[in-house]
Amino acid sequence: MANGDLIVGLEIGTSKICVVVGETRPDGTLKILGVGQAPSRGVRKGEIVDFETAMKCVHEAVVDAEQKSDVMIRSVFISVAGGHIQSFNNRGCVMLPEDRDEIDEQDVEDVKVNAREVSIPAQNAFLHSIIQHYHVDGQEGVLNPVGMLGEKLEADFHIVHGVRTRIQNTIRCVKELPLEVEDVVFGALASAQVVLTQHQKNLGALVVDIGGGTTDYILYVDGAVKQSGCLAVGGDHVTNDISMGLRIPMARAEKLKTEEGGCVLGNCLPGETILLKDDSGFAGKEIERETLNTIIHLRLREIFELLKRTIEEEPFINYVGGGVFITGGCSLLSGIDHLAGEIFEMPAHVTHAQTLAGLTSAAENPQFSTAIGLLKYAQAVQVDRPRRGITRIFSRFFPGMR
Amino acid sequence: MIQLSKNYSLPERHEEQIPIKVVGVGSAGSNALDRVLLDGMDKNDLIALNTDVQALATSVAARKVQLGRNATRGLGTGGDPELGYQAALESGEEIRQAIAGARMIYICAGLGGGTGSGAAPVVAQLAREAGSLVIAFVTLPFSFEGKRRASQAQDALDRLNEVANAVICFENDRMGDMVAPKAGIHQAFGVTDMTISQSVRSIVNLIQRPGLIRIGFDDLFAALRSQNGRCLFGFGESDSDNRAHDALNQALKNPLMDKGRMLSEASHVLVQVTGGPGLTLSEVEILMRELGRHVRDHTQIVFGTAVDGKMGNRLSVTIISSLSAEEPTVSQAAPPKPESFLAPPPAILEEVDQPAPTPAPVPKVDPPSLGYPVTGMVPQSEMQPPPESLANDLIAFDEPIDAAPPPPPAPSIKKPTPRLIPPKKKPLMDKEEPAKPVKKDKYVQAKQEVMQFEPVTRGRFEKSEPTIVEGQDLDIPTYLRKNVKVK
Repeated sequence: MANGDLIVGLEIGTSKICVVVGETRPDGTLKILGVGQAPSRGVRKGEIVDFETAMKCVHEAVVDAEQKSDVMIRSVFISVAGGHIQSFNNRGCVMLPEDRDEIDEQDVEDVKVNAREVSIPAQNAFLHSIIQHYHVDGQEGVLNPVGMLGEKLEADFHIVHGVRTRIQNTIRCVKELPLEVEDVVFGALASAQVVLTQHQKNLGALVVDIGGGTTDYILYVDGAVKQSGCLAVGGDHVTNDISMGLRIPMARAEKLKTEEGGCVLGNCLPGETILLKDDSGFAGKEIERETLNTIIHLRLREIFELLKRTIEEEPFINYVGGGVFITGGCSLLSGIDHLAGEIFEMPAHVTHAQTLAGLTSAAENPQFSTAIGLLKYAQAVQVDRPRRGITRIFSRFFPGMR
Repeated sequence: MIQLSKNYSLPERHEEQIPIKVVGVGSAGSNALDRVLLDGMDKNDLIALNTDVQALATSVAARKVQLGRNATRGLGTGGDPELGYQAALESGEEIRQAIAGARMIYICAGLGGGTGSGAAPVVAQLAREAGSLVIAFVTLPFSFEGKRRASQAQDALDRLNEVANAVICFENDRMGDMVAPKAGIHQAFGVTDMTISQSVRSIVNLIQRPGLIRIGFDDLFAALRSQNGRCLFGFGESDSDNRAHDALNQALKNPLMDKGRMLSEASHVLVQVTGGPGLTLSEVEILMRELGRHVRDHTQIVFGTAVDGKMGNRLSVTIISSLSAEEPTVSQAAPPKPESFLAPPPAILEEVDQPAPTPAPVPKVDPPSLGYPVTGMVPQSEMQPPPESLANDLIAFDEPIDAAPPPPPAPSIKKPTPRLIPPKKKPLMDKEEPAKPVKKDKYVQAKQEVMQFEPVTRGRFEKSEPTIVEGQDLDIPTYLRKNVKVK
């Protein structure tokens, strides 16, 4: 049994549902106790489309995790994804009262509220307000203004928001089980916590988490989140393309993708073929490797190019010194780092969760990056804000979370 | 009927094997010899030639000849081809004795240094004068060895090309691709030796094994015909369930094959499939069909197959071909060579390269046919059996070839020729000429096919909310939206 603080991360992905159980040790390290997973059904592009089925799958995964880690799971951190999630940067500003010139914690809270006073679509809810930098009387790059003297406190925030009802769907699915939802975290933000080191965040890095249904990205510059978002295209699309292009069933296409697929063109013999063994309900077929790779290549190239265009709308990409970090199940495709490197014109790496104790084999699988990232996120949040009642998830924001 | 009687006579003729000698020139050559011996070629006479006595002493060859006793006094040449040349001339008589009696001489040498570059052409020349067929297996130095060595190697290669019947050239730079980056340097060089050994062995087998559909010297020369060209060689062996497929893939992965890409440019490809008694027709068929994807329609595939009890469960594929050098002018400039008997082979090449569109092949064919027998061997009577049997074989495998390129004028010319005259150069040329227009037609056809229309569909995402970014529905496969033809 776990003796430290138990943290559970739950990711409802498009291809699989994954539950990671971890404990925080007194010395601040995080240990993974067990990983449970179940194939996901009823989820498309990161969002639940069949509530009942998805709930069963989540239940399966949770039970699996409980058995493997030998703990009772009561509350979880969940990640969300989906094309509806958007983000922007905003600056909040508060003037200190005349009779006081030392900034206190209340002012910091106020400036956060102020930063949120922007119009987002009515049906949307805030997911995160991530602090970038404070400015005191125009002085830039203040990390913690509490105790400083000044008249005007400003703060730059990166705000992530999404459609309220869609996020609630995910929460409800978990609550019906019933499990407590401690917090909802944007998937890429969670992944970045374990994929990147603090040094890489400072250097500037782009994390691209290509999962089954969505491609989440988050861009760090100077240790702060500058851009993030979600593109509702992922590994499923690759599989679908293969299935349609080669006229084979989805299940075979998926297998073919994971076992033989690659994204680099011109790397195989002309006419080199892959033999698909016949199976019940499927006559064997021979497939040209180059054709398979072309289909995969085109799709991934498009994803990366779309991302690049989106990110280039703001100038931050030029300050990225650490390169591109690709994670998520799709990052297992061979040659994906080459392709990403070619398109983003900077070094690209395929990574997985780093620096963890316990079940390290789980950490080495990029498919678990988000779920493990949830633990790290939770740990960071809990250090800052010791447990308090879970009341309204959406009205919360998290000081110190970067 | 003819076919039957010929096939019947084949095994008998094979009782006595063609006498062969493998000559390693220089230290790279003797390294290759070591490997050849390891690979079970001990029956054949191995001869090591070197200027360096120490290196010679460590060689495994049964017969060793020290080159240039006076010229180098038992030391190496210090990378000077001129010295290597002098040394070889000095020891000419010894070399002649060593290689006497062999009908085929394989010369293994590493070009770029002194002995290999200087002596190998001399050895080749002596062998030719003795009436042997000479096939040279040479390596070109790594590019990091410097331009000087590269140019020495190139000079030596040019000379060898003039003298030898065929030159199979391995570029060390390409060998590097075959070795894992972390492999030791020993292993890297070992790979070169192994490849040479493999090719020596497979060519020997090619010619000596009793073939159901046999491949002979002339087929080999046809495949290696181009001068100064790059030789494509691939060898694969497998005993897995899917051995035909695996062996072919392995053969195509050979670095000299450039992953099979080069095959599409070759005009002749020689393929031999060897298997144990369990070799099935369908395996051969699968293999040839797969290979067919790598070559163009008009490429002539010279196909041979053999059954060898020693192979057991294994199936091996040997692919040999060559690409002609890009600039035919160079090969034309080269031919002014000393020996009269050397003239014909290059001459054939030039003619094939240049007057492709001319419609009257007959007059052109004559000079090579005259020249060829002289080229091949001085003691012509000795060489008579192989060409004869080849002609027979030709009948046997004529049919598969016919099926591949069906140019209307070809059969009428081709059918009589093989039976009339032993050297098979003629039909090869005839076939090549009509082939060129055929090729053009194919390309045009392929272009038209691209215009096919595919219905737009979203497959599995048909019922989900569309993902529309920048005006494009991302659920539709990218290749459809970009109009890339995938099949």
